[in-house]
Amino acid sequence: MSRRKVLTVIGIVLLLGFAVMAAIPSAIAPYGQKEMFQSWLNPSPEHPLGTNRLGYDIMTEMIYGTRTTLVTGLLSSLISLALGAAVGALAAEEGFIGRMVDGLIDVMAMLPKLVVLIVLGSFIRGGGLSLIILISVFSWSSTARTVRARVIELKHSAFTENLRIEGFSDFHILVRHTIPNTSDILVSRFLLGLNSCIMMESTLSFLGFGDTFHPTWGTMVNMAYRNGAFIRQAYAYLLSPGICIMLLSLSFYFMSIHFSSRKEEVEEVI
Amino acid sequence: MRRELRSMVTAVICFLLVIVLNFLLPRLLPGNPLAYLTGVSEEGLTTVQEEYYVHALHLDEGLSRQFAHYLGSLLDGTLGYSFKKDAPVSSLIADRIWPTLKISVPSLLISSALGLVLGLSSGFATKRRTDSWLTPLMIVLNAVPSFLMALSLVLVFGFKLRLLPYAGLSSFAHLILPVTTLVLGMTPSRYLLVRNMVAVQAKERYVLYARQRGLSDRRIRYSYILGNIAGPFIMALGIGFGLAVSGSVVVENIFSINGMGKLLTEAVYTLDYPLVQGVLFVSTAIMAIAIILSDLAALAVNPKRRLENE
Repeated sequence: MSRRKVLTVIGIVLLLGFAVMAAIPSAIAPYGQKEMFQSWLNPSPEHPLGTNRLGYDIMTEMIYGTRTTLVTGLLSSLISLALGAAVGALAAEEGFIGRMVDGLIDVMAMLPKLVVLIVLGSFIRGGGLSLIILISVFSWSSTARTVRARVIELKHSAFTENLRIEGFSDFHILVRHTIPNTSDILVSRFLLGLNSCIMMESTLSFLGFGDTFHPTWGTMVNMAYRNGAFIRQAYAYLLSPGICIMLLSLSFYFMSIHFSSRKEEVEEVI
Repeated sequence: MRRELRSMVTAVICFLLVIVLNFLLPRLLPGNPLAYLTGVSEEGLTTVQEEYYVHALHLDEGLSRQFAHYLGSLLDGTLGYSFKKDAPVSSLIADRIWPTLKISVPSLLISSALGLVLGLSSGFATKRRTDSWLTPLMIVLNAVPSFLMALSLVLVFGFKLRLLPYAGLSSFAHLILPVTTLVLGMTPSRYLLVRNMVAVQAKERYVLYARQRGLSDRRIRYSYILGNIAGPFIMALGIGFGLAVSGSVVVENIFSINGMGKLLTEAVYTLDYPLVQGVLFVSTAIMAIAIILSDLAALAVNPKRRLENE
């Protein structure tokens, strides 16, 4: 197996593990979500990562946090993918509109994202869903850029020209040929977008802007940090959610390598 | 020339966009704009106070008049007034800007230098050993959330080994951990950028000819390829500086550095909206200036670009 394939397999296995944790947390978690023990227990065979300030088992908390983390990332990257694809296609138009939209992509790419999101998040306090929408509204620029490049390339390719000469309508060409030919970059952008959305969400949650009712891994680190996990020497509590984020992000990255390299040239879909 | 010019114009538009956003946010969102502009909830105000604030903030005038007043507050350098802290926003930010620059400027310089040197060496020979371990390492490093990096560094060097201080910014030693966190976070993207650009250049004919003339790899890398990638690399520095400033939000919070990032989170927690907006304004301004300067520098290092029209 080539190195690329090995990475893809590792990515899929990691992601499957997280997916199972997200789908059926109650079957995997060692304890119930509201089962209380002594607070600040050290890691032990009974509690692999110890317990937190309220005496909840941290391993359990983390497994239950998988779903919110994954769903937040999935939703925000799906929305940003749709936005990016639409804007990218529009920016590929020739003329005034295309140029304007292309400029908009540049502006969005340049904005200091984290600071803007913190500011908007402080004004719009609406919990998990508004955070998802905010993140996706500010994450589509790189998708739009890639889609724009591909659409322009396709527009000027010989087979599109041929189709046009044969008298197929613009709509037909768009739906049957242009969109199918962007699918590979859409998949790889989706995976990379998941990556950056999860990173953004966890950073915001770590800073305390997350939804405390549906804690993600980032929120967990924030709680650990603020409740004095350092002084209690609960290092596993502080670090393990971050390590999970890293593994999740790597799994998406490994899978994206597979998709981004599979089709290096534009293929004709007829 | 076109590319640099375009990037400069974009930076200015970004800046203007943030100004408009700052003006519209408190006024268009549902809820009393007064609450957003003062940070005091409606219930906490007497009628007299409310009238005073409404008049002081020009909320009784039309939107265009309000915008004029708002622009005035930006131009005279006060950036609005923080009613929570009872001080002009600009004076609050001025105290906090240096610590942020103290950690973000060195980390930008170090990470760029590292990215350049490492990227040049592995992009030049993508089949060789350095590339085969360095690139995966950078990809893994790229996946580490900055707070995880910061917390692990504090844990190892601050708590376990007791080598380095991890709170405040009172001496040079205090700089090491926060700067290391930022450098480790920023190097991968710089490295990958350089590596990919160099890999493209290495396939060019001028490299082949230089090799045939028997020039050393080092010579080819540093006096042939570097010259051709210098422009885009310098342009990326400007955006990198913007990223360093926003990246320092996390770092400042963990290392208890009283910089702009910490000011921002404090302002958010205390609902001090004018201050929150001030920080956004200043960080966008810093970013725009950095981008414009880096674009000018990119033009300066490559005189040919000034004439080319692409």
